[in-house]
Amino acid sequence: MTQALVQIDNLQKWYGDFHALRDVTLHVGAGEKVVICGPSGSGKSSLVRCINHLEPFQGGSINVAGVALKPTGTAIRDIRTLSSMVFQQFNLFPHLSVLDNLTLGPIYAMRKTADEAKAHAMQLLDRVRVADQADKYPGQLSGGQQQRVAIARALITDPQLLLFDEPTSSLDPEMVHEVLDVMIDLAQEGVTMVVVTHEMGFARAVGDLVVFMDAGEIVESAPPEQFFSAPASDRTQQFLAKLDLSV
Amino acid sequence: MAERISHTRLGDGQTLPPPRQQSGFLLALRQSFFNGWVSSIITLALLTMLAMTLPGLWSWAISDAIWSTQDSSVCRAASGACWAVIGEKHRVILFGTYPYDEHWRGALVVALVTGLAVLSAIPRFWSSALFVFWGLTTVLVTILMFGGVFGLPYVGTNKWGGLPLTMIVFMTSVVLGLPLAVVLALGRRSHMPVIRAVCVGIIEVVRGLPLISVLFMMIIILPLFLPTDLTIDKLLRALIGMVIFFAAYAAEVVRGGLQAIPTGQYDAAKALGLSYWPAMIKIILPQALRIVIPALMNDIIRAFKNTTFVSIIGIFDVLGATKASMRDVDWVRYSTEAYIFVALLFFVYCFAMSRYSQFIEKRLDSERER
Repeated sequence: MTQALVQIDNLQKWYGDFHALRDVTLHVGAGEKVVICGPSGSGKSSLVRCINHLEPFQGGSINVAGVALKPTGTAIRDIRTLSSMVFQQFNLFPHLSVLDNLTLGPIYAMRKTADEAKAHAMQLLDRVRVADQADKYPGQLSGGQQQRVAIARALITDPQLLLFDEPTSSLDPEMVHEVLDVMIDLAQEGVTMVVVTHEMGFARAVGDLVVFMDAGEIVESAPPEQFFSAPASDRTQQFLAKLDLSV
Repeated sequence: MAERISHTRLGDGQTLPPPRQQSGFLLALRQSFFNGWVSSIITLALLTMLAMTLPGLWSWAISDAIWSTQDSSVCRAASGACWAVIGEKHRVILFGTYPYDEHWRGALVVALVTGLAVLSAIPRFWSSALFVFWGLTTVLVTILMFGGVFGLPYVGTNKWGGLPLTMIVFMTSVVLGLPLAVVLALGRRSHMPVIRAVCVGIIEVVRGLPLISVLFMMIIILPLFLPTDLTIDKLLRALIGMVIFFAAYAAEVVRGGLQAIPTGQYDAAKALGLSYWPAMIKIILPQALRIVIPALMNDIIRAFKNTTFVSIIGIFDVLGATKASMRDVDWVRYSTEAYIFVALLFFVYCFAMSRYSQFIEKRLDSERER
């Protein structure tokens, strides 16, 4: 069996006394798209934030592309270099133009030249269809545009792994699709994606595996057809019943 | 049962002009000064007080004042203010004990620093070239003040005084104090216990001491710890004290700005793979410092006034020089006039900085809206 790109084994995490992740094991193969869903507080955001060590964990292990995640040494840096993250609140840098938001990583984390970074950035902005906004500041853009810029910023380091933490949850309904369309395009290009989202349409369209979490545990994981048509656990059924699946 | 009315507007909507506003001088006067009987009584009381004080002030400061004379007995014969004291003593007030024939060097220093400060304040000139100009000015100021080269006679720091000295103390406190403040503020938030403890220690100890005692420590106590053959210039020691004092206060202001930055900004910087210093310099500090500019301006204005404290350790800033110049028995009766002059000098600089801080605040607000 080939080694998975992301290999999470028996992960344990506490916030103070609160046991947030309970013995979570999840393997993501290279090129796979994994969609994680679950009610709020189920630990799904904590899980993806552990992968690039934005959150520390207290037990178990995480391996990304053969790098074992440890709190000391270069492991964190290595994993952050080969992965990228898109956040719920976009987290663009408000004091920098769209273009500078993109070129910052290549210039200061990857030692690329400014010209190289700029050319690459324009290419990516074009791909997420906001090239005409390159000189504006994030505050001048709509939520959907900002999140597409954030996706372009995540792509500019040529990551092997893309982490999405509820990328459409703070968008107005009419902007969700422009972001999802970009994500679906990306998914078809072979990059590995771990996506926390409630957009089941996205899961159906590109997901290889849908993971349902509740109370810090993975309750169920299955390919989308099976997950939606024949959910095994009661908790999954109840959760799906509350979601609007018409999307 | 009541019949339900229709909420839909009937017919076409119209664009109406806004209601006419009442205005006019008399109305404004009434609303501002005679708006009810309490307001009227206060207005009348204040008018009475002005009527009682203004004529006396006018005759003392203007009509009976002596504007210029070299003979202090002329002043003694007059009942008004003796502004002539300023003409007589302005060289000592402005340049202290700096050699008389070299005063032009001090004047040039004041002009250079003030001029460049004004230029630096104008947004149109904001560029990295300013740093070069400040660097050059520092070299120029050093050459002008010390001399010893280019045929300029050497003047030791023990002879420095007056407005150039005030400028040097002020500029040094701010220009070296701000970077130190940033380092202290970052250190206070460090995850490394030793660094954090050192920074908290410096900030809290210095903030817990009056500036006077910090200066005395630098002058009297510091030499006790240093090897006897190592003597540090008195002015330099005072400057170190001023820099640390300014930095300790400004550090807390900067820390406030750092705390105002959403954690998402740190997350995004980390996720991009940026290490600590690039993340701070490119992402966190530009935003944090922008937030605290108004509060920092407050500290900067205070730093200008704090320069007067150096006079108690025998360094003659402009206020100390004024005090020293009034030892002249002929003119000592007119120290009030001399102090008013110095007060005006301070006011001009501080008021300019205060107005500028309001301007910059407005400008940053409008930037935030974009």
